[in-house]
Amino acid sequence: MTNAPDKRYATEPAVSLFEADAPTARPKQRPSALTIGALLSVLRAIGGVSVIVGLITGWPQLQNELELEGVEPATVLKVIVGLQVAWIVLLLIVSWLMWRGSNAARLLVMSLTCVSITASAISYFASGAEITVHTTLLTLALDILMLLALSDRDVRAWTRARKPLP
Amino acid sequence: MGDEHTAIETRPPRRTRRISVTAILDEFFFVYAGLAAIWLAWLLLTESFKLGWLGIAFFLVFWVMLAYLALPRLHRIFTAIYVPDYFIGRTRTSDGLLGDPVNLAVRGSDAQLREAMARAGWTLADPVTMGSAWKIVTSTIARRSYDRAPVSPLLLFGRVQDMAYQQEVAGNPAKRHHVRFWRTPDDWLLPGGTRVDWLAAGTFDRAVGFSLFTLQITHKIDADIDVERDHVVATVMAANDAATVETLVDFSAGYHSRNGGGDSIQTDGDLPILDLRKLHAIGDGS
Repeated sequence: MTNAPDKRYATEPAVSLFEADAPTARPKQRPSALTIGALLSVLRAIGGVSVIVGLITGWPQLQNELELEGVEPATVLKVIVGLQVAWIVLLLIVSWLMWRGSNAARLLVMSLTCVSITASAISYFASGAEITVHTTLLTLALDILMLLALSDRDVRAWTRARKPLP
Repeated sequence: MGDEHTAIETRPPRRTRRISVTAILDEFFFVYAGLAAIWLAWLLLTESFKLGWLGIAFFLVFWVMLAYLALPRLHRIFTAIYVPDYFIGRTRTSDGLLGDPVNLAVRGSDAQLREAMARAGWTLADPVTMGSAWKIVTSTIARRSYDRAPVSPLLLFGRVQDMAYQQEVAGNPAKRHHVRFWRTPDDWLLPGGTRVDWLAAGTFDRAVGFSLFTLQITHKIDADIDVERDHVVATVMAANDAATVETLVDFSAGYHSRNGGGDSIQTDGDLPILDLRKLHAIGDGS
């Protein structure tokens, strides 16, 4: 038949899943899953603030447990809090970039979340650490929901599409 | 010589699309998130047994997690691998599962189809938004009429339906006749070579229940989908003198199966084609 070139394989080869997307214009409507993912990421940053509050209020006790020798305890506290603040600021900036449509920011957040989830999974399955409401269930749930939202097909298509034409 | 030349020219063009690192990472995270979601659902379930009365609330959270996040993600991973993506006379749900069968075809313009359905007493369904979804939940619980209730998205040719029509039964949103329409791509022919402009899937929602595959709350459909198909054809024919119908007998083999919500379906496999091209519709050139 003359239309032989129109025939195609019954199943797509698996490698087609990994091909670069054909260039398409970005739809105007931002997918709701992206907004949810960015919000969860902001929630994670807010969770970081509670860690700082916990550190400062519980410092006298923590200081004794750590058995710091040769360093000024106040300096250690400043360094830890400084690092934590930097982490929160980074998370907020990345959440904002992600919401604006940065694919690099999205991949970075997904990679970090993936590492965090894997760490929890290793301590749960290998070391038998308990994950309950009183320990890290909420943090883990935030991470997993964030990863689910950001890996959504709509989000992927939207962030990987070209910017809308002017 | 000439024939050989043509044969070379008509060979399909070589695919030149390249493998993308972003795509590989995205596929990895897509699957990893699915596995993590199952683990989280399990953690929520075990936690719900430890918390006494509060455990009931946790069990609800577990169900939402499982039905609306974890299972749909797993279905999307697996159906992308094993459900064929070309036309087999079945629509697909947004999770990739096989949905309602295509059991009706139409020839005619967009305006002619809208005119014919409106005359036959069908109501256009509202698009699915947060507002309309909330309204269908509240009106179903209160058994209040909502004649423009949205219908869930089903996909054909990789697209959500272009429009959906419905007829509420006895003012109760749990029961309704409904039919979804998809415009066929240009120059697209049915298996066998017949040209049609629209394909449709008509089913009767008989109650609200749980989906067998995702455990989500959804409409359950009547198993005998041929009755609904014939109802659509009969109402359109009765209200539109200019409409004609021809039937592709045994378009598909008669079969028993399940739709995307796990409800039984059975059909004789006939495909009626409504011809609306002689209809005078407002806003249409004809």
